[in-house]
Amino acid sequence: MSLISIFFTFFFYISVLIFIIGVSYKLVQYWNTPAPLKIPITPASLNTSGVILRYFREIFLFSSLYKSNKWTWLFGWCFHLALVLLFFRHLPYFWPGEVPLILYKTEVLKYSSYLLFFGLVGLLSRRFFVDRVKYISSPSDYLMLLVLIFITSTGMLMTFGNNHPNMLLVTNFASGLITFNWSELPKEMIFMAHIFPVFCLIAIFPISKLLHAPGIFFSPTFNQVDNARKKRHVSDWALNKQEGSKIDIENNNDKKE
Amino acid sequence: MAEILGAEVDEEGYLLKVSDWTPEIANAMSEEDGIELSPEHWEVINFLQEYYKEYEFAPAVRVLTKAIAKKLGNDKGNSRYLYSLFPYGPAKQGCRFAGLPKPTGCV
Amino acid sequence: MTNDNPIKLPTYLEVPAIKKDAMAGNGPFKASEEVQQGLGFPGEKVDNWQQVAIDKMAETKSKYRSVQVFLDACVKCGACTDKCHYYLGTADPKNMPVARQDLFRSVYRRHFTFAGKYFPILVGAKDLDENMLDDWYNYFHQCSQCRRCAVYCPYGIDTAEISMAAREVMNVIGAGQKYPNQILGKVNKIGNNLGMPEPALRDTLEDLEDEIKDDTGVNVKLPLDVKDAEVLMVTPSADFFAEPHIDGLIGYAKVFHESGVSWTLSSYASEAANFGMFIGNYDVMRQGALRIRKAAIDLNVRRVIVGECGHAWRVAYSFWNTLTGIGSGGSDDYSLRLQRQLDSNYPQPQHMIEFTYDLIQKNKLSFDKSKNDHRVVTFHDSCNVARGSNMGDIKNGQFILPREVIKAACNHFVEMPKNTIKSSTFCCGGGGGLLTDDLIELRVKGAKPRMHALKKTEQENGVNTLAAICAICKSQFSKVLPNYDFDPYMIVSVHQLVSEAIVLSESSDTEV
Repeated sequence: MSLISIFFTFFFYISVLIFIIGVSYKLVQYWNTPAPLKIPITPASLNTSGVILRYFREIFLFSSLYKSNKWTWLFGWCFHLALVLLFFRHLPYFWPGEVPLILYKTEVLKYSSYLLFFGLVGLLSRRFFVDRVKYISSPSDYLMLLVLIFITSTGMLMTFGNNHPNMLLVTNFASGLITFNWSELPKEMIFMAHIFPVFCLIAIFPISKLLHAPGIFFSPTFNQVDNARKKRHVSDWALNKQEGSKIDIENNNDKKE
Repeated sequence: MAEILGAEVDEEGYLLKVSDWTPEIANAMSEEDGIELSPEHWEVINFLQEYYKEYEFAPAVRVLTKAIAKKLGNDKGNSRYLYSLFPYGPAKQGCRFAGLPKPTGCV
Repeated sequence: MTNDNPIKLPTYLEVPAIKKDAMAGNGPFKASEEVQQGLGFPGEKVDNWQQVAIDKMAETKSKYRSVQVFLDACVKCGACTDKCHYYLGTADPKNMPVARQDLFRSVYRRHFTFAGKYFPILVGAKDLDENMLDDWYNYFHQCSQCRRCAVYCPYGIDTAEISMAAREVMNVIGAGQKYPNQILGKVNKIGNNLGMPEPALRDTLEDLEDEIKDDTGVNVKLPLDVKDAEVLMVTPSADFFAEPHIDGLIGYAKVFHESGVSWTLSSYASEAANFGMFIGNYDVMRQGALRIRKAAIDLNVRRVIVGECGHAWRVAYSFWNTLTGIGSGGSDDYSLRLQRQLDSNYPQPQHMIEFTYDLIQKNKLSFDKSKNDHRVVTFHDSCNVARGSNMGDIKNGQFILPREVIKAACNHFVEMPKNTIKSSTFCCGGGGGLLTDDLIELRVKGAKPRMHALKKTEQENGVNTLAAICAICKSQFSKVLPNYDFDPYMIVSVHQLVSEAIVLSESSDTEV
C-alpha cells in the first residue's frame, strides 16, 4: 500500500476512534448529570407519548426554528435533509460485500447535493449579511460552513464533472475500511480533498458545536413531561440533600445533622 | 456613604436610621426631587410616620389613601391624587421623605 | 402620573440594527456585606474570585444537566437573536439571548473544553477577567429569565438557566445584586418580601374587610392564621401592599366567600414569590418553599392555593413537589405526611385561577358582567405562567383558564397580536429580579414590545384595560405605562375584574 493510502486509512480510524470515545464521553456526562428540577418549556406534553411527538416535530421538521425564522429554517432544513439523503447516496461505497440492488437506486440522490449547497450558502450568507448573526459568529462558525461547502463542491465536481475516480477503487477503499480489508485509495487529488475534511469533521464532532445532535435528546426543556404536580421529580443530589437532614415531623422542622 | 444634612443615606437616598430624620431633611430631599412640600404632603408624611411608629412598617397604599381621605376629604383619598403629590409613588417617595426604609418586593 | 415625552411607537415592531454597548454600564446596585452574609454568601468579592468562580461553574454544570447541555449544544443559528424584549427595546447586541449566553459560554469554552483551551480565538473562548465579570454583572441583570428565547430555540436552550447559573456564580464570589438578595433576607426573617410584620398585615386585612363591608354591605373575611381552615392561601405580599394588586386580593376573598370554602392566610408564610429562583440558588429557593410547607402543616389545611404571581406559580407548580413534597407521588416522610393531610381530590398546589374557574364551571358564582362594561379587556400572559407551568392539567390550560375567568366577568375581551401572547408572550420588562428603580431605563425599554402590541390593540379594538396574574407585571406596568402614553390605571388583576362583577349572596351576611 502506498504511504498516502496508509495515511488516509490510519486517519479514518483515528477520527472514528476520537468520535466514538468523545461522543461516548459526552453521552455519559449528559446522562450522569442530573436535572434537579422540572423545567419543560410549556405548553409541554402532559404524557410521554407527547414528548415523543415533540421530538418528532423538532427533529424531522425543525418546528421551533420554523416558528422563529423562515429563512434560517429553510436553509437549515434543506441542509440537514440533504445530509441524510447523501448519507444514503454514499452507503453503497461502504457496503461490505454484495451491494443490495436497492442501494443502487440511491444514485438519483446525488441531485440533493444542490440542496446541500443551497442550504450551506444560505446559512453562510446569513452570517455575513445579518448583523445580529454576524455579531454572534466565531471564526469556527464560518470555518465549519466553509469546510462543508468545500466538501459539497468537491463531491459535486466529481459527480457532475468528468473527473470521477474509478468507482471500483472508491468502493474497495471505502468498504475495506469497514471490513478491515484495506486497499489503495484513488489517487485523484479531488477525491482526497473530498474525504480529508470529512474525516476531520468526524474527529472534531465531540469537541465542537456538532454536539447539538446528541445534545437535543438531553435537553430537559424538551424531554420532560409536564406532570410536576402528579409525579414527584427528584434527582440524586437534591434527594441526598433531604436525606441529609433528619426529619422531625412532629415539630415540623428539618434538623440539620 | 452619601449623606443628607449630615444623616447617612443609602445609594437610593433612603435614610439608614429612621431616628436621624428631621423636617429639614424632608425639605432637602424634596428639593432635590423638584417638589415643594405643601401641607398636603406633610399630612401624608405625618401619617406615614405615625403608622410606622406603631407597626414598624409603612402602610399599604390602600390604608394610606383611606387615611388621607379622612383627613383631607374623599376627593383626595385616592391613588391618583397621591401620585400627583409624589410622582415617584406615594409609597416609595413618601417613605423616603418621611425617613422610612424603602418598601421592597414586587411593588 | 403623566409623562411629558411618551415614547412614539412605530406601526410595526421593528427588529433594530445592533448598537454596540447601548446598555453598557455597571449594572444594578450590589448587595451589601450584611445582605450577602445573611444568605450565606461572601460579603464582598473574594480575593481568589476567578478560581472560586471557575470551581462554581464546574459544580453547577455537574449538577444541572440543562447548563451542561445548553453550553455545548448551541450552534449560533441566530434564531433567538430577535426574540428578547430587551434586545428589541435596547438594540444592545449583548441582549441577544445567544450573546448573553456566550458571556458564560465563552468562559466555559476557555476553561473546560479542548477547543477553547488550545484554539481560543477560533471558537470565541475568553478568560474570566475583570471585564468579563463586569459584563456578566451588567448583562445577566438585563435578563428577566422569561424563556421566550427558549420557545424559539431548535434545541430548547433556555437562557434563563444560564442566567440563573451566572448569578449563582456571582453570588458565590461575593458579587450579588441588592434587590433580590435584600428581599430574600426579609422573607427568611419576616416571611414576606416586603418585610411586613404580622401586626401590620393583620391591620391591613381588617382594613380591607371594612372596605368590602362599606362597598357591598357583606361581611367578607380575610382570615389570618386560622387553624384547620380548608385552604391555605399563599399570595405575593404585593397583594397586601400595592396598587392595583390589593383589589385582586379583595377578589380572592369574595370568591372564597361565595364558595363557602374556609380559607386562611399565614403570617409565617405570607409570601408566594420566591426570588431564590431568580438567583439560581436551590437551597435559598427551597428555604422559601419550606416556609409554606411548615405553614400548611401547622395550620392543618386541606388545600394550598397560590395567588396571582407569575414566577411563584412556576415554583409552586413545577418545583414545590420536588422541593417540599407538596404534590403527589413522593415517598419520603414529608411527602407521605402531606399526602395524608392534603385533599387528594384536588391537585396540590392549585392556582387561584384554577379555583375560581372550577367554581365558574360548576355554576357556583354569579356575575353581573355589566359592571365591567366600561372596560375593553385584554390579557397579558405572564412569562413564568405561560412558559413554565400549566393550569387545570389540560393542554394550554395556563392560557385557557385565565381567559375564561375574565370572560365570565367581562363582556368585552380582545386579544393582542398572536405573536405576542400565550407561549410567545412578551415579558412586561420587570421580571427575574429586575423590578428595581436602579434598572428603570432597562425596564422602560424592555417593555417596548409589549407596549407596542398593546398600542396596536388600543387602536384597533379600543382596549382600555390590561389584566395580568403576576405581581411583578402589575407593578412594572403601572410604572411604565405612562412612558408609552397609556393610563397607568389600566393595569388590573384578573381577580379585580372578578371582584367588580361578582354578585355576593346576602345569606352569607351572618358573622362567622
